[in-house]
Amino acid sequence: MEVGQMQRRLIEYTKSLFMEGILDDQFLQLQQLQDESNPDFVVEVVSLFFQDAEKLLNDITRALDQQSVDFPKVDAHVHQLKGSSASVGAQRVKNGCIAFRNFCEEQNVDGSLRCLQQIKQEYYHVKNKLEALFRLEQQIVAAGGSVPMMELSF
Amino acid sequence: MMQGNIWISTNLLGFAQSMTLVLRFQTRPSFGRAIFAHGSSSEPNSNSQFKGLKVILADDDDLNRTVTKKLLEKLGCHVTAVSSGFECLSALSAAENSFQIVLLDLHMPEMDGFEVALRIRKLRSQNWPLIIALTASAEEHVLERCLQIGISGVIRKPVLLQGMADELRRVL
Repeated sequence: MEVGQMQRRLIEYTKSLFMEGILDDQFLQLQQLQDESNPDFVVEVVSLFFQDAEKLLNDITRALDQQSVDFPKVDAHVHQLKGSSASVGAQRVKNGCIAFRNFCEEQNVDGSLRCLQQIKQEYYHVKNKLEALFRLEQQIVAAGGSVPMMELSF
Repeated sequence: MMQGNIWISTNLLGFAQSMTLVLRFQTRPSFGRAIFAHGSSSEPNSNSQFKGLKVILADDDDLNRTVTKKLLEKLGCHVTAVSSGFECLSALSAAENSFQIVLLDLHMPEMDGFEVALRIRKLRSQNWPLIIALTASAEEHVLERCLQIGISGVIRKPVLLQGMADELRRVL
């Protein structure tokens, strides 16, 4: 596949992620912050997000598994996850966290467990999508092309 | 969500007299379709106003700190990033440092942004840096409290380049 084709494919792929609500404008913001002095900025930040998120999801799982659930603690973890997912533009994960916090407030264990399941799914979904996106970018660069920057109007 | 405000003014009997709705819209450039550009995007704001501006950023979250720092550098600022209120105060007390802006996350563990701001105000009488708070909250009492303490501005998280530039411009 030649570079132009790959670039178009990347654009279409990225667009679809926005259309499906998997990513939001904050992700574009990250891309705009990337430049020659920091060519891997987006990958670095997203990697930080993956690390953060997986640790938090583990912490939340463990906390909900306790005999007596420490809801303030769970809420604090969810708050953090909400913050970092918002910062990278992982919209569905962020929204899941917003819903989760309501269950925490109600001290609802079942609701929380269901929400956690949902968030985990959304997280792995966005992780797969972003990793695919980065692979596409790498292919373009390896073929001697440059990664197109996007501006989308919504 | 739209960073707006709605309030109802009532008359003496408690009946609603008038209602006001304020919404804040951001004007965005509209593009017909996806645009290809090579390399880095041209900055939407001129950096000259913020060039060399010495900023200290305090945020305990690694990810947010990384992103916000990059954002400020993109605007031309010199950024020192710390991860706690204590580190922030130490940096400010050091004689050779002179920061013009302090960006504080309000919700840090150990010492929150309010506490840090109070202590900054007690630190020195000359060389008062401008304090801007970072918060995910949009509640009015948060804003009020900020003003009472001497915080000059507030930026909502997650931080956008335009939002940062606007607020910096406003307080400077």
